[in-house]
Amino acid sequence: MSPLNAQDRLRRMLAIVPWVAAQPDGATIEEICRRFELDAEQLQACLDTVFMVGVHPYTPDALVDVLVDHDRVQIRLPDFFTRPLRLTPAQAFALLAAGRSLQSVPGADPQGPLARGLAKLAEALGADTSEVVEVDLGEVSGDALAVLQRATAQGRTVEIDYYSYGRDAQGVRRVDPWRVQAEQGRWYLEGYCHSSDAVRVFRVDRIRRVSVLDEVFERPQGAGPLEVFRPEPTDPRVVLDLAPSAAWVVGQYPVEAVAEAPGGRLRVTLAVAARPWLERLLLRLGPDASVVDAPDELAGAGADAARRVLARYGE
Amino acid sequence: MAQSDKLERLMNLTAALLDADRPLTADDIAERVTGYAEGKEAFRRTFERDKDELRQLGVPLVMEVIAGSYPPEHGYRIDRADYELPDPGLAPDELAALRLALQAVRVGEQTGDGSEALWKLGGVVDPGDDVGVGAPPGDAVASLPPDPSLVPLFSAVLERRVARFAYASAGGDAERVVEPWRLEYRRGRWYLTAYDHDRGEGRNFRLDRIRGEVALDAPGTFEGPEPTAPEGLDQPWTYGEGEAVTAVLRVDNEQARWAREQLGDDSVLSTEPDGATTFAVPVTSWPAFRSFVLSFLDHAEVLEPAELRADVVAWLSRIAGEAVR
Repeated sequence: MSPLNAQDRLRRMLAIVPWVAAQPDGATIEEICRRFELDAEQLQACLDTVFMVGVHPYTPDALVDVLVDHDRVQIRLPDFFTRPLRLTPAQAFALLAAGRSLQSVPGADPQGPLARGLAKLAEALGADTSEVVEVDLGEVSGDALAVLQRATAQGRTVEIDYYSYGRDAQGVRRVDPWRVQAEQGRWYLEGYCHSSDAVRVFRVDRIRRVSVLDEVFERPQGAGPLEVFRPEPTDPRVVLDLAPSAAWVVGQYPVEAVAEAPGGRLRVTLAVAARPWLERLLLRLGPDASVVDAPDELAGAGADAARRVLARYGE
Repeated sequence: MAQSDKLERLMNLTAALLDADRPLTADDIAERVTGYAEGKEAFRRTFERDKDELRQLGVPLVMEVIAGSYPPEHGYRIDRADYELPDPGLAPDELAALRLALQAVRVGEQTGDGSEALWKLGGVVDPGDDVGVGAPPGDAVASLPPDPSLVPLFSAVLERRVARFAYASAGGDAERVVEPWRLEYRRGRWYLTAYDHDRGEGRNFRLDRIRGEVALDAPGTFEGPEPTAPEGLDQPWTYGEGEAVTAVLRVDNEQARWAREQLGDDSVLSTEPDGATTFAVPVTSWPAFRSFVLSFLDHAEVLEPAELRADVVAWLSRIAGEAVR
């Protein structure tokens, strides 16, 4: 490990000193290093420093007393550094939010160590309950999520009956589940889809049925962050002009290019993975969007979709 | 060994301010804390930097007028009650579970703070076989989006501070004064449940609609009781002000499940043998509801009221017509 700077050392020592002092027989160097994430050399350098710390008049009773005997460290303290520094609000929030997130995953034990730890933490923070932070990672119905998590952990291929919203089509696919993750309020399954011979991301709430097959697979190493929307270079592109009242599209859709167009409008380029996806966008925007450029197969997508829906209304 | 000198000096300074029974003046500190260079100017520069560093770490170092001094003299101190973390008394498996949670869930843009929080609680402890969190160790399970208002509002909840912020709604931005009770993440968004002073009732606020900074009053500026906020405020078609209109929507079998998740079980009027489902939905923002309905393409249809049905037809006719022209 590289040498720690003064702040890194201070952060650790303000936690290590009270912790070691609170252990009746001290602690081994090995255990301190493991708990506080530093190596023996770094710890030794810190202990050498702490050994000199104290308050005026720096008489023995006013100094931090560090005893290193072979591999064991003991610390005796004057009346300070007996407790670690408070958690910052950001630290406390991150702990509680992360813990409450896992607690919300179906199958989490409501009386388990995490639940107990969160309750104690909340109390130490001055809250009546850990429920001051509430997390719902995404809708899950049935046991699809649990089955997929198990199949992922065991490296077993699954068969899913899936409704593809983008394509507006239902179908059965064989998938090697690589990971199951919640993003933006939804659970997603990422994996290799045998049916389309490509890596695909599926929404778990659109899986109607999962069955675990006997086949096993090797999960590839080193996955980056899960990308919910991943346009292919071969996907067709459309160019739309948006009225000022539709400028929000830029923030909420994966827009690839934005330019200013006459009349205060915005000219945006979008990758279209599936036609129904574009149809929905155009129906939603109505007069706020006009298609400036589209490949032949997508020209008139909005008007065609509008006529189809009108037919349903008997028009 | 400059690093060691600095660590020693910062710890000595912290110890002195924690230990003193009255605020210490800069002169006291220069005289009583070892590690500062000789000379007033050199001391001042180093002391300024040290104060900043300690505050960055979250050390509650305050400057105040020393009681009884005349002319008034300023001194520094660290209140032990503000500095010390009360012992939560975590068992090893509980600490291990919290560590697993920090590994599995990315909260906002935060990256480095997780470890330090664990050190304060007793260090990094390996989870045993099962800590009952339903996640394989080491795997990312979820990420929660960042929001600049989260941490200030969380402090407000813990310390019972009244919060003030500008909030965007249908009628434009307006200043809100609220008693924050709970932060909630659902459907991919952060919400605050709070008692709204002006409206005299509990409300849910979307954090992404808060404009600018959240200002907090002093700790303990409200007591409770905790308000109940109306449920289901989070769908865009419930945002508008005014009387809700009940829309009746029929959705085909294939899409019915998804519609049900969005609209809630309570809104189901009837389900036909083939699975097609009819919903009754209170709507205050018609354009938002129209967007939702059209997302089903030709798999859904507004049945009632007639005005809303006519509006969909008019809207679609415009889109259908424009391409013909």
